[in-house]
Amino acid sequence: MSTLNIGGEQLDASWFLLLSAILFVLGAVGVLVRRNPLVILISIELMLNAANLALVAFSRQLLNIEGQLFALMSMTVAAAEAVVGLAILVDIFRVRDVEDIDDLSELRG
Amino acid sequence: MAIAVFFVAAILAVLGGLGVVVFHQPIRSVLSLVVVMLSLSVIFLLLSAQFVFAVQIIVYAGAVMVLFLFVIALLGPARELGRGRLRFQGWLSVLFVVALLGLMWALLQGVQYRSPEKADLSFFGTVQSIAVGLFTTFLYPFELTSILLLVAAIGAIYLSRKRIDIDDET
Repeated sequence: MSTLNIGGEQLDASWFLLLSAILFVLGAVGVLVRRNPLVILISIELMLNAANLALVAFSRQLLNIEGQLFALMSMTVAAAEAVVGLAILVDIFRVRDVEDIDDLSELRG
Repeated sequence: MAIAVFFVAAILAVLGGLGVVVFHQPIRSVLSLVVVMLSLSVIFLLLSAQFVFAVQIIVYAGAVMVLFLFVIALLGPARELGRGRLRFQGWLSVLFVVALLGLMWALLQGVQYRSPEKADLSFFGTVQSIAVGLFTTFLYPFELTSILLLVAAIGAIYLSRKRIDIDDET
C-alpha cells in the first residue's frame, strides 16, 4: 500500500490503478463485443486512456516525471492511430456499406 | 475534498466507459468517451499532472473526438444489427474479460511500491518540468514522434485521395 498526500488528504495509489484496470477492461469488452468498426476504434481509445491513467498514477507515486512524458507520447500515438484508422474506415465505407466488422474479414474491397 | 473529487470523477469515468460499450448508436458512444476523457483529466489534475491535464482536454476531448464526430456525421447514422456469426462469442469474451479484471485486481494486491524520489511538488508536472525532461533526456524520442505524425498525415492523405480510374486514361 502506498498513500499519496493530495491536498492534505491521503489517497491510495491502488485506487487510481484499479480505476485504470476497470476502464481498460471496459474498452476490451467494447473491442470484443461490438460489431461496428467505428465503435471498436472508440473502445481502443478508451483502453489507451486507461493505460495513460496508470502511467500518470505511477509517475505521481514515484514523483518521477518520466511517466507523464510517456503518457504524452502515447497520446501522440493515439492521435496518429485515430487519423489512420478513420481514413481507412472512410475509404472502406466509400466502396460499400459495412454494418458488421465480420463483413471485412476477407480484407478485400 | 480530494477524496470526494476523486470518487465523483471515477464514477463518472466508469459510467462513461459503460456508455461506450452499451449504447447502440455510435454518436452516443463518442459522447460517452468525451465524458470519460473529461473526468480522467480531473484525475490527472489530482495527480499533479497539470500539463497532461491540458493536453488531454485540448488534444483528446478537443481534436480526436471532434474527428470521430466528423466521421460519424460523414458516414450517417449506422445502427448495429446485434447479430453475429458466432452468438456465444459475446458471452465468452465478457467471461474472459472479467477473468482479466480479476487477475489485475489480484496483481494489484501484491504490488511492491518503491519509495518516492525527492521532488518538489510545486514544480512537479508543470510545463517547465515537462519541457526539461522532453528536451534533454527524451529529445531523441520526441523528435521521432514528429516523423510518426508525418507518416500518419501522409497515410491519411493517401487513403482519402480521389480515385483515378486507370482504364479511362488508356
